[in-house]
Amino acid sequence: MADKRYGMLFDSNRCIGCQSCSVACRAENKVPDDVYRLQVRIDGPKGEYPQLVMDFERHSCVMCEKAPCVPVCPTGASYMNKDGVNMVDSKKCVGCKYCINACPYQARFINPVTGAADKCTFCYENRVQKGEKPACVSICPTGALVFGDVNDSKSEIRLALQQYTVKPKEHLGTHPKLSIIPNKRGGGQ
Amino acid sequence: MVRKLTRRTFLKLSGATAAAIAVSGSVTKLVSEVSAETKAGTSELVRSFCEMCTSRCPIQAKVENGKVTFIAGNPDWAATGGAICARGGAAISQLYDPERVKKPLIRTGERGEGKWKEVSWDEAYSYIAAKMQEIKDTYGPESMAFAARGGPHKAYMDTLAKAYGSPNTFTHESTCPMARTVAKEATFGTNSLSLDYGNAKYLLSLGRSYFEGINVAQVRGVTKAMANGGKLVSVDPRFSVTAAKANEWYAIKPGTDLALVLAIIHVLIRDNLYDKEFIEKYTEGFAAVRDSVVTATPAWAAQETGIEEKDIERMAREMAAAKPRAIIDWGWRTATSQEEFELRRASIIATILLGSFEVPGGIYLDKSAAVINGLVGKSVVPGLSTPKVPSYPKPVRPRVDGAQVKGQPNYMVPASDGVVQAIPEAILTEQPYPIKGWFVLRYNPVISQSNTNRVIEALEKLDLLVVCDVNLSDTAWFADVVLPESSFLERDEGFNNAGGSAPAYTLRQQVVEPIYDTKPHWKIFKDLGERLGLGQYFPWKDMGDMRAIQLGGRQDLIKTAQEKGVVNFGIKPLFLRDKNSVAQFVTKYPEAMSQVNEQGIIDGPMLNLKTPSKKIEMFSQEAQELFGRGVPVYRQVKLKEGNELYFIQGKAAIHTNAHTHNVPWLHELMPTSRLWIHPDTAKQMTLKAGDTVEVTSLSGKQQAVVLISKGVRPDTVFTYFGFGRLSPGLKRAYNQGINSGMMLPSAIAPVCGAALHTAGVQIRKV
Repeated sequence: MADKRYGMLFDSNRCIGCQSCSVACRAENKVPDDVYRLQVRIDGPKGEYPQLVMDFERHSCVMCEKAPCVPVCPTGASYMNKDGVNMVDSKKCVGCKYCINACPYQARFINPVTGAADKCTFCYENRVQKGEKPACVSICPTGALVFGDVNDSKSEIRLALQQYTVKPKEHLGTHPKLSIIPNKRGGGQ
Repeated sequence: MVRKLTRRTFLKLSGATAAAIAVSGSVTKLVSEVSAETKAGTSELVRSFCEMCTSRCPIQAKVENGKVTFIAGNPDWAATGGAICARGGAAISQLYDPERVKKPLIRTGERGEGKWKEVSWDEAYSYIAAKMQEIKDTYGPESMAFAARGGPHKAYMDTLAKAYGSPNTFTHESTCPMARTVAKEATFGTNSLSLDYGNAKYLLSLGRSYFEGINVAQVRGVTKAMANGGKLVSVDPRFSVTAAKANEWYAIKPGTDLALVLAIIHVLIRDNLYDKEFIEKYTEGFAAVRDSVVTATPAWAAQETGIEEKDIERMAREMAAAKPRAIIDWGWRTATSQEEFELRRASIIATILLGSFEVPGGIYLDKSAAVINGLVGKSVVPGLSTPKVPSYPKPVRPRVDGAQVKGQPNYMVPASDGVVQAIPEAILTEQPYPIKGWFVLRYNPVISQSNTNRVIEALEKLDLLVVCDVNLSDTAWFADVVLPESSFLERDEGFNNAGGSAPAYTLRQQVVEPIYDTKPHWKIFKDLGERLGLGQYFPWKDMGDMRAIQLGGRQDLIKTAQEKGVVNFGIKPLFLRDKNSVAQFVTKYPEAMSQVNEQGIIDGPMLNLKTPSKKIEMFSQEAQELFGRGVPVYRQVKLKEGNELYFIQGKAAIHTNAHTHNVPWLHELMPTSRLWIHPDTAKQMTLKAGDTVEVTSLSGKQQAVVLISKGVRPDTVFTYFGFGRLSPGLKRAYNQGINSGMMLPSAIAPVCGAALHTAGVQIRKV
């Protein structure tokens, strides 16, 4: 069987910025206090009254296909696994922060407990490999997240990706596997 | 464990893989130890229901090696599925918070000084029982008040109160959604009705932010409605998250929402857009409504509200086009003006005019066991029974707030909730009689009641204040005795009636053993009852007994509930005027066929309501006779002086009311609140973002940090509720942000007793 290519779709229209995903991620991945793998950020209100808009942004690793964090890693701790998920091998990581500097999405941090670079893994080892969805996807109250194997033509995500989507900072050519349905809400449609 | 590597040490190590591994060896070991432990240990999933707010969402908690590691929604509960909000997920960090109250505390210093001694439960009980007996002997049992955040736990508190002889039991509802409760009672003769958000085609929200005051099932409902092309209109002086998601947003002038709703009613009637057949068959009082809105034209409402006439006309037309799947939400929060009873009544009346009753996408009667059994003609769903207890002593004096007391202003307020703001008033004024003792269960009036200074002044005058809570709350800070309650993840409890469009019960189950020397509320009330010689009112041993009593010994259902966290009875959502759902119901219960009329609907229950006319009462004779408020009528209200700004508040998705602000994970996400000021207003006052201002109202003053936002009207300032905590025992949340109660007046809205949450404030840069 061909390797998988895990991808995620974030519908910014459905996201309400409630941070359920951030809390679920913290619990699931035992993310220490004061750092985070995932937050959603509300940008706004912007525009002019009464045409105001709030944008909702997922702030986390976007799983670049051409990931800037991988080649800069001197120890090979930063790598993409066979299923297209960018991972950190904390045993190999020496905490040099090169990857943190290289990441154009500010998605990485040093885990104060392990001392290694850390970031979203799509819950690859703890959930996805067991056939479960990532924690954030599983608990989202509005169904703003779709996850799956984009190589599988019958997957939910392939269907979802038929909508108009954009990639975060597409111009950088990093080819993220996070896709975004841009905000259409607000502004007094 | 933080490993610090300078660039130099790193360079020395780079390329030397073995050395690198050696350096990280300790870390690796730690990680592998953890994973080995996990493999070796136990892992289980426990079903229960949440208590981080009052929505009581069914949950599934994962327990590994005796520790809760993850909380999700209960996948067997269709309304939420596995979804959960941030607060529910963060219940883990409340459970393991080292700042929790770990043993009973008795005050040793002055009240509010924060000096305590840790005592045994025995000593705490003896102290409380002696004081309660003293109050009873000196002032009478009615001088002891009891208040809890509403919920199934209140039954145990009420049992103790009634056995002791006090009628004075309260929930926090009158500082929350009491207006809509009283409005529902006045219109339908019951409060057991819900809104079917998920199937609505048009939903008008008056200041309610579904996406911040989160109830997961309702969030999913509104999201589903919108995904199916339904329209969401947000009317709110502030640009909330809900406003940002809505199709339309109107920044209405605070306190004028009633004018908008009356104008919508005006248009529906003027243009014959209402459901005449429905109104004729199922309602009373149409003529009174029609006559009362003659002058409530959209042009007039535009003047009052600041919403343009053409928009009001269009709203009414669009609602009519969407009927019967159109709703003006009766809301959740407390009074935005003194005319709150009228506003909630008018919202219901507008919805009813659209025939939006007992259909998908409308108002529906909750289908309790009693309703279902009534339709089927025999018992097919067990109701929840209560223990048989001896008759209670009859209090000599009526309720201190006058709830359900004839001739009193709060007569129409349900006595099961009461008007909780009456407690501090009765303490201070000793009218109609003094309150000398107050038992508070997981409720925090110092923050959630208006006029903080007055509430504290009242607490200081008490002979006995007992606070039972998980944290050293702001109210606990002023207590004589603090009883540490087990958090909801540490408690077994009985069944909770969680039915809506079909009957269902949820079960709270202990997920982990109590970490500290804490007890569940039911045990505390039972123990205290026994101390006071009232043990006969608690004729059960534990929650195993209680569950059996509740479900009439149906061990099969109890077993299902223990496994699934819920019991339902395979009944699909039932809307009595919807042919399809009625047909489904009759297929399941052919005995109900006799209830179905020639149109294929069941109209019996709708024509047999507990109102005087047995119909839906758009005109309330009782409200007319007692208060001159038979139908909603607009009255001008004064909420501020000319040179002041309106002060309004709202809910945040991350916090609950006066509860969660010190919960570690939630505090980390939202540690403080700021005061939203419009850029034009800020410019006039030469304020910049981050400036500190002094905010003054008639009730008090405090400092606030400014957030400049176009998301609030220029004549209004906004903040999220529940911050500015006063208990130094809440180390994280203490003194962070704005305490709204400090600015709010003691005023209440007539008829419904709801606390007024709009104030006039002056702002001065400091």
